[in-house]
Amino acid sequence: MDFPRYHKEIVGDLLDGKFILATDAKFIELKNNTDFYGKFFKETFDFYLDIKSDYAYLISEETMEMLSRDICIFIGLLCYELDKEGKNFLDEIQYAEFDAEQIDNLFDNSSYVDLIQNNNQLKNSEARKQFIGTLNRRNIIDRNSDKKFTFTPAYKVFMDFAKNFAKGKLQQNTVEEEAE
Amino acid sequence: MSNYYDMIKELFDIQVKEGLVKREVLNKIMSQYDHDILNKLIEYKFFKKVADDYEIRPVYFKFLEFILSEFKPLLPETIEKYEHSITSLFKKIKEGIGKDRNILLQRITDLYNEVRDFTEAVEKNTIRLISETKELKSNVDKIDYREKVRKASFWIDYYITPLNSILDVSHSQSITNRLLDISQYINVRRLNFDDETARQQFEKLYTFLVQTNDDLLRQSKILTNELLPLIERIRSESMILTGWIEFLKNPDKVKGPFVPKSKRAYPYNNAMYFNALEYVQEYMYTSDIYLDEPDLNAKDKWIFNKEFYRDAMIKELPMPNFFEWAGKTLRGEYKEIETEKFFSLSTLLFEDDIELEFDASADRMVIRTTEMNLRVPKIKIKRYGLS
Repeated sequence: MDFPRYHKEIVGDLLDGKFILATDAKFIELKNNTDFYGKFFKETFDFYLDIKSDYAYLISEETMEMLSRDICIFIGLLCYELDKEGKNFLDEIQYAEFDAEQIDNLFDNSSYVDLIQNNNQLKNSEARKQFIGTLNRRNIIDRNSDKKFTFTPAYKVFMDFAKNFAKGKLQQNTVEEEAE
Repeated sequence: MSNYYDMIKELFDIQVKEGLVKREVLNKIMSQYDHDILNKLIEYKFFKKVADDYEIRPVYFKFLEFILSEFKPLLPETIEKYEHSITSLFKKIKEGIGKDRNILLQRITDLYNEVRDFTEAVEKNTIRLISETKELKSNVDKIDYREKVRKASFWIDYYITPLNSILDVSHSQSITNRLLDISQYINVRRLNFDDETARQQFEKLYTFLVQTNDDLLRQSKILTNELLPLIERIRSESMILTGWIEFLKNPDKVKGPFVPKSKRAYPYNNAMYFNALEYVQEYMYTSDIYLDEPDLNAKDKWIFNKEFYRDAMIKELPMPNFFEWAGKTLRGEYKEIETEKFFSLSTLLFEDDIELEFDASADRMVIRTTEMNLRVPKIKIKRYGLS
């Protein structure tokens, strides 16, 4: 049986919890064999393969909730603090380059001090450095140097999450108001 | 005006904001610039006196608006009035086409002027809307996101969407469509009308209408392709921010998006150190756990009081049918027989001192409990201990 090119790397990366980005040659191979890989991951691991226009990743019901929650806190706080500075956070996350010092500055002066202090991944500069390493290994960010990084299109997963969460909250409020 | 440009610009800004220039404000500005030019401004008919205050005359005001590209946006309903004037003039031209020549020429000129005023109004609005939207986007005033969304919604609801529908070619009642009809009619007249002067006027109007249609199409494209997406993005941005703010209120109680999980971790894997670290850190997190006391009701607290039921049974001895008694007792107390309670009562049969007898071949009776139907034998209890 012939397997697609980069088969081993595609399976390895996805099972290691990485996003495969459109800029990666593996992405084209993955996209060209969507049906095969969709079935492969479903039948073999019971994972669902989600291929968007610019990234692909595996979804597992047995999600690592702590990591997922920490990434959400990190991106959510970043958006909030950028907006507080009067910046268009979507543009910033999509195009700007961040450096560790800027992140430290934003987090150390954040009003969400309790949330940050109680989170082992984000509580101080050293912890955040490690956390940025985790994001880099999963291709959520792209490290340009030891201290600088940009977000990859994988950030959209989290923006969609926030948008859906807000919609859910709004609906919930409407239902509650109607009930009153 | 060029000599006193800065001062004039300031006066213009004040009138835009306040509607007129108050006497004391004017004095303050003149002393600030050290130019007492009030008489000149009145002499050149720049200012009109309104009680004790001053107003920049419309001709200068419009001129300044134009050179500064700072237009006061017109409400689309104000722009829409041109539809009526243009339509009525066009109707008059059609009706009077074979009648008085001079009136016809005047109507053509008037139609030309109306169309020009209309396109200028649209253009001014588009320029203003673009500048407002870009300002909103760049957010130099650092307004908070709620205000940003409010402003964005205001521009969309009151200006951009209605203006777009005025300009929408696919909409049969839009002014753009009306102008297209007019240009088709004028196109024929410019070629076949008898009078030379009128033909030239039709020609001039036709060329202008063609150019106007192109301009309007361009304005419509700017609105559709540039302004709406820009403002929609502000709206979507705020939706995301709302989501984050709500999420950050209590992140532990929210199920996050599914993030791919690292499944394999071989000791010789390059990422082993980080994977292990990540794994350990995950469980290093300790959050306060609160256990809510479950709601309890009287039913949940039922405890089998063996002595009580044993005494009740002894009082009934000799008993012809134990299960019938158990059923009756429970139904009398609780109106229904719960299986658990029924089984609890049945444990009395296993007491050491009890003396009972039953016929294994006899018919069984059915006891209905809340969960099931139990087929039980008829058990006779003769005595209990010394009773």
